[in-house]
Amino acid sequence: MFSSNNSRDRHALCVENVSLGYGERAILKNLSFCVEHGQIVTILGGSGSGKSTLLKGLIGLLKPTEGRVELYGKDISGSGSEQSLEWARKRIGVLFQSAALIGSLTVAENIALPIQEFSNAPAEILPEIVRLKLEMVRLGGYEGYYPAELSGGMKKRAGLARATALDPHILFCDEPTGGLDPVISAEMDNLLLELNRVLGITMVVITHDLSSIRAISDWSIVVDGNAQGIIATGSTDELENSPDRRVYDFFHRKAH
Amino acid sequence: MNGGLPFETGRSSEGELLVSFKRPLSYENAAQTWQGLSALVVQEDNVSIVFDLSGVSKVDSAGAALLRSIQRLCDRKGVRFRIQSVEPPIRHFLEYLERETPKQGQPELPGSFVSRFGAFLIEQSAELVDFARFCGSFLAVAGGSLRRLRRFRWNESLYYLQLAGADAMTILFLMMFLLGLVMTFQAAIQLRQFGANIYVADLVSLALSRELAPVFTAMLLAGRSGSAFAAEIGTMKVGEELDALAVMGFNLTELITVPKVIALMMAAPLLTIWANFAGIVGGIVVSAVSLDLTPYSFMHEVYSAVTLGDIMGGLLKTEVFAILIALVGCFRGFQTGLGADSVGRQTTSAVVSGLFLIIFADAILTVLYYLLGW
Repeated sequence: MFSSNNSRDRHALCVENVSLGYGERAILKNLSFCVEHGQIVTILGGSGSGKSTLLKGLIGLLKPTEGRVELYGKDISGSGSEQSLEWARKRIGVLFQSAALIGSLTVAENIALPIQEFSNAPAEILPEIVRLKLEMVRLGGYEGYYPAELSGGMKKRAGLARATALDPHILFCDEPTGGLDPVISAEMDNLLLELNRVLGITMVVITHDLSSIRAISDWSIVVDGNAQGIIATGSTDELENSPDRRVYDFFHRKAH
Repeated sequence: MNGGLPFETGRSSEGELLVSFKRPLSYENAAQTWQGLSALVVQEDNVSIVFDLSGVSKVDSAGAALLRSIQRLCDRKGVRFRIQSVEPPIRHFLEYLERETPKQGQPELPGSFVSRFGAFLIEQSAELVDFARFCGSFLAVAGGSLRRLRRFRWNESLYYLQLAGADAMTILFLMMFLLGLVMTFQAAIQLRQFGANIYVADLVSLALSRELAPVFTAMLLAGRSGSAFAAEIGTMKVGEELDALAVMGFNLTELITVPKVIALMMAAPLLTIWANFAGIVGGIVVSAVSLDLTPYSFMHEVYSAVTLGDIMGGLLKTEVFAILIALVGCFRGFQTGLGADSVGRQTTSAVVSGLFLIIFADAILTVLYYLLGW
């Protein structure tokens, strides 16, 4: 692990002995890791390894069957944690795999939605915030477009603009480069890096895009479906040369 | 000094209005800051304003947008505006936001009422042409399907016959029974004055068989089945199932539209006969209770008033309605765009277009029957 649990104030996110599952079916067991402020951590693993389940656990959409998830020192996973979760939700942004833009709203309305709902920003400066956000993701001029009129890459960027609308402290991204061509994927990686460097946003990125992992991650967590947990953590260099066959195969695109 | 505001005002050595911020420029105090600053720019007769950011520890997106909005306001009012003493991290952030970003497109601005009305008319006429083309392709494919009856997908048609026909019988009976009941009551009030109670049966049975049963059945079909067809096909389109079928070489009209149209063509006349029956039962009940007419004399009067031509005329109408409802339902489904909201819009549109076509076709057929002496 990169961090120890006794220095909590350094950590944006701490996961302690967390197990996740649906009903009786356990997906991941006994996970523990911490993410420091300003880091970009990638969560890797093959299809069906439980990456998306882990993300649901981290953002409070799925309650862990065991253990606790802490965001900025507040437990968002236990019973009676609704207030902490509400507090945390105003400080996190989530970019979903499909971008999850609301189809009946324009791009500008999608971005304005959380700002109108959860901030005190006056109506006069709202269009300016939306414009800033769209320019930030290189979508200036697309305010009046509907999601159905955008390409896959543009949808993801619009989703990123909405996820960062309230300047979150921590951003969770589910396969931000999934389904995009290498050039657009590299653009997306650059955007995430810029947001991390300029705004200081901590990021947890779920991906299995090797070039993306190399480009953005400070360190990575590898989860495995058969092991139902974390099988390795470390920098990209360390993982690429991992003695663990499963990790090595993942990074060198080898079938078992 | 402005009490409670997140900034202080003073004068610089050059006589400019100096605004010194005391708190972060962020979402938390954006409303208060905007209110104070915009009032300052609008009300005071200032030629030049300087924002001193030396006391600002943090600027977020709302703060940056606020600075931009104030700058625009100053430009409009002819007030000179500049920012000074910005800490390096904040300067870095503001410079990052100010960098040139390539404009990739511009949304179309809404035009005047006349141009929008013109665009609406062009859109509607294009839609009419599309619908005519869709009906044409249906006729061409349906002709081919009838020649190859063995290959026709009867199972699918029977499935939709169950959904659109059998499953609608209860609600249709209830609706038409109550309609017959209400009609008989209304007619009875008038006819009783002339001692012509018995003619209630003539009125109800003729109105039902020639007009009301076909139209009400069609309306129910438009609401239940036309919308269901649009939603089903629309969802298939959103899920790219239609593309997959087309790529595999299926003719979508033959595979999807024809079975649905045939099913409604079978269901509609059967439901219309059922609707006639339900309406007459409603009429008999009211006649027996409040007009002292026995069911036997009511039915005797019905037999003498209604001819086979009346019933067949009604069934012909309902057949036309059924074809229109099924076609417009499928057409709207195929028109679905790429989002979930589009499915909803097209489903609504299928019902509205279906109801309009029913009334429109009914008017034409009624005039036609009159001219032909039916």
